[in-house]
Amino acid sequence: MVLFHCPDKISQKIRERGEGSKEPGSMRDKILNFLVFLLPLLLVLIILYGMLFWTFYISVSNWRGTSPNYEFVGLKWYRMMFRLDRFWVDVKNNLKWLVVGVGPTLFIALLIAYLLEISSLRGFETYIRTLILYPAAMSFIVTGTVWSWMYQPDRGVLNTIWRFLHLDFLQSGYITDPKTATYWLVLIFVWQYLGISVIILQSSFRTTELKEMIESALIDGASRMRILFQVILPNIRGGLLILGGLLIISALKVFDIVYIVTFGGPGYSTDVLAFFMFIATFQQHLVSLGAGLSVVIFLMAFIVVVPYTVYAFRRWFS
Amino acid sequence: MRSRSKRTIAFLAIITAVVLSIAYLLPIYVMITTSLKTPYEITQRTYLIPSTDVHFENYTKAFSLIKNAMLNSIIVSGTVTVISSFFGGLSGFYLSRFRSKFSKVLFILVGIALYLPYQAILIPLVQFMAKTKLALTYAGMIMSYTFLNVPLASILMGTFFMSIPREIEEAAEMDGATKRQIFFRIVSPMAMPGYASTAILVFTQVWNEFLLALTLSTPSTTTLQVKLAEVKGSFVALYNLQMAAAIIGVIVPIAFFLLLGRYFIRGILAGALKG
Repeated sequence: MVLFHCPDKISQKIRERGEGSKEPGSMRDKILNFLVFLLPLLLVLIILYGMLFWTFYISVSNWRGTSPNYEFVGLKWYRMMFRLDRFWVDVKNNLKWLVVGVGPTLFIALLIAYLLEISSLRGFETYIRTLILYPAAMSFIVTGTVWSWMYQPDRGVLNTIWRFLHLDFLQSGYITDPKTATYWLVLIFVWQYLGISVIILQSSFRTTELKEMIESALIDGASRMRILFQVILPNIRGGLLILGGLLIISALKVFDIVYIVTFGGPGYSTDVLAFFMFIATFQQHLVSLGAGLSVVIFLMAFIVVVPYTVYAFRRWFS
Repeated sequence: MRSRSKRTIAFLAIITAVVLSIAYLLPIYVMITTSLKTPYEITQRTYLIPSTDVHFENYTKAFSLIKNAMLNSIIVSGTVTVISSFFGGLSGFYLSRFRSKFSKVLFILVGIALYLPYQAILIPLVQFMAKTKLALTYAGMIMSYTFLNVPLASILMGTFFMSIPREIEEAAEMDGATKRQIFFRIVSPMAMPGYASTAILVFTQVWNEFLLALTLSTPSTTTLQVKLAEVKGSFVALYNLQMAAAIIGVIVPIAFFLLLGRYFIRGILAGALKG
């Protein structure tokens, strides 16, 4: 049954042009469809995956210095990488990013999103959403510049405030203290991703089934906290998976914050894989080592991307 | 009992609002007050208190430092946005309307490419752009960013196309319309809000991108973020100048966010949920 009709002008034009070999289903129509809809995407994918394999190949070649050298040397550069102290510092720091950057962001975002849903304070939701989402429009370079100034130990903002409030014991070296520097960098990340996390979680709250379940739990007299942990949490696994994946990938490939705030220092205490990859490739010109690090970063992201893509695939083709 | 819990919620809401306000407004406040001071005032640790003696010349100086880079960023981000949105529309239509084994495989490949860390292709890309001398022109950056943003734009547009009712298309198909006519004359005009979301998201992403810009740009094509990093590096103690430059640098994306926030949010959601 035809429920809608084309606007007359369009369908008339379509009929005028729709004669002969361009008819839907003809060979020419199929070729044109292929050229218009598929070819651009296909080219982009071939280029991207081609470059990905090229990176793999460079990582098993012997390229050091500025001009390419594709002589096959197997796992030579990987073996060297695993022997490097710096590599393991990076792995540890990347883990710190994952643990401190992803978990707390998810948790805080969950609480805020829930509060936004249940609060009836007028204007509260709009205000909070705008307030915490604006950093999403800014670059890490800008937020990194601002937070460098916040953290500056001598004349910087935070320490000045603590002094002013006579809370001197809160003063800290922040990013200049090798033991804690990474955590202060992660805080910038949490600060910047909180807004996005909240709106993604909020949208996963808003399914009709979940709303009904919350209604009936409320009627049964369940407390707000119990509803959050026993009704909502098990039912937004999809949203959590998506957000968790997004945060993990972002935390894994973090580069900008490290570059702009500490440049990996003090020493290489805040170094991460992505930053080492940049230094190895473009400053030390150990290109094969850099490619190897890229492969490591890619594989770690890949582990996360696969379940994520499978989930999206099921939804898309259901 | 109900009213008590309501009061608790209101109380928690106020506490949250206060804490978040401090955490999210303080950096902006600091940016603005610092950007209007002299370096001497900053060393006095009184920079948090606004004074009547404002120094707008920090902005003129910062602007003259970054204006070329900003122009480069406008050219690169603008062009990439237009091209990626256009190709994203075509590919998104394919992924959402042509259902076959092949389109399923393609979806998986696009899904993985969507979150490809830039590092994974950086070395070949830079090598290619340097060899072909494309790195010396805008074309090199525009091409690179287009490759990297078409997957995102395709998924976003596909998501928006999926939410358009099929009946109109089916009617047009019965009238003998080709897929191309349906795409250009019916579906695309209806998906204009989707194009707006995609464009804003791609633009912000390219505008804010740093790693690729850093490795690919040459002095004549330096983008804003690279320049901002340079300003921070070369005027280490001049926080006033750094902040003024940073503020000028975020005007464009923040304006998008404040004026077209709805599209921005819809884009983030569509990109995250992928369908």
